[in-house]
Amino acid sequence: MKESIDKQADEALVERARDLFDESVAGLDAETRSRLNQSRQQAVAEIGRGRPVWIRWSPVFGATAAAVVAVVLLTGTPPMDLAEAPASASDLDLLLDEESLEMLEDLEFYSWIELEESAGPEGPENHVG
Amino acid sequence: MTMKAATASFAVSCLASSGKGVKALQRETELNRFLADVEKRALRIAEISIRDRDEALDLVQDAMIRLARSYADRPADEWTPLFYRILQNRIRDWQRRQSVRNRVMVWFGRSDEDNDYDPVAAAPDPAGRTPEQALETREAMATLEEALGELPARQREAFMLRNFEGLDVAGTALAMGCGEGSVKTHYSRAVHKLREILGEHWQ
Repeated sequence: MKESIDKQADEALVERARDLFDESVAGLDAETRSRLNQSRQQAVAEIGRGRPVWIRWSPVFGATAAAVVAVVLLTGTPPMDLAEAPASASDLDLLLDEESLEMLEDLEFYSWIELEESAGPEGPENHVG
Repeated sequence: MTMKAATASFAVSCLASSGKGVKALQRETELNRFLADVEKRALRIAEISIRDRDEALDLVQDAMIRLARSYADRPADEWTPLFYRILQNRIRDWQRRQSVRNRVMVWFGRSDEDNDYDPVAAAPDPAGRTPEQALETREAMATLEEALGELPARQREAFMLRNFEGLDVAGTALAMGCGEGSVKTHYSRAVHKLREILGEHWQ
């Protein structure tokens, strides 16, 4: 009998507490609602940004690795000899080097030399005049 | 590869990427709906725990961002316990920091003036009630909040998650980071203690 009364009292308390809580939630002021809305928009814009870089890029790495493995398995050889790679980091260094840029500026001069050599003794200078 | 084959390959790739975009958009919409549904109750739960609305807003925002960053790709039915797990951790961290801060203030002989929280003054006015009814409701809620404040933290968490948020025992256990048996014990003790504090007349 006492257990039953206790249970009823518990249920009544729980119900009353829930009603009061719900009323306090429903009565939140406009400013608070607005701040919650802003927080939510900010959170939604952050979807997936917390994952480490290697996880975010793992599909790309995985696909690349799978493609390389597939080529190796199908051809029996690596897809390209590293020594024959057309544009390595060192090539880029050479291209971006200041001296290389100067050489590019002198292309007209080198072109003239080549023309002179191919013309032999009767080169361009011999045609002067 | 012929021109036709290249075009077909490009078209397939475009379709795949647009499919991915639709999926991401759906996830955004779902998460937005979930957060809109939970945010106000979460705020009140945090506010009751720490008795400061501005700080509670910050904690809820932190929890939202953490959920979006780390768990947006989890099944939607896991979001509620995960969100409350994050929020409860934030609340506990805040309470620890506050406890240290208060000890330091006492050491330097200063009282923490910000701690003069008046739940009656801070409680919002519910719409569509007479001033007397509104006052009565606010006072009852303030009394409940004070009683909840007297509970041990774990009992208060169990009571609010089960009763205010409506989580089941398993969800509450996940949110609190404990076993289901502990949730039942904490909840039962919380109800018993609240009855003791509030008395029979409160109902």
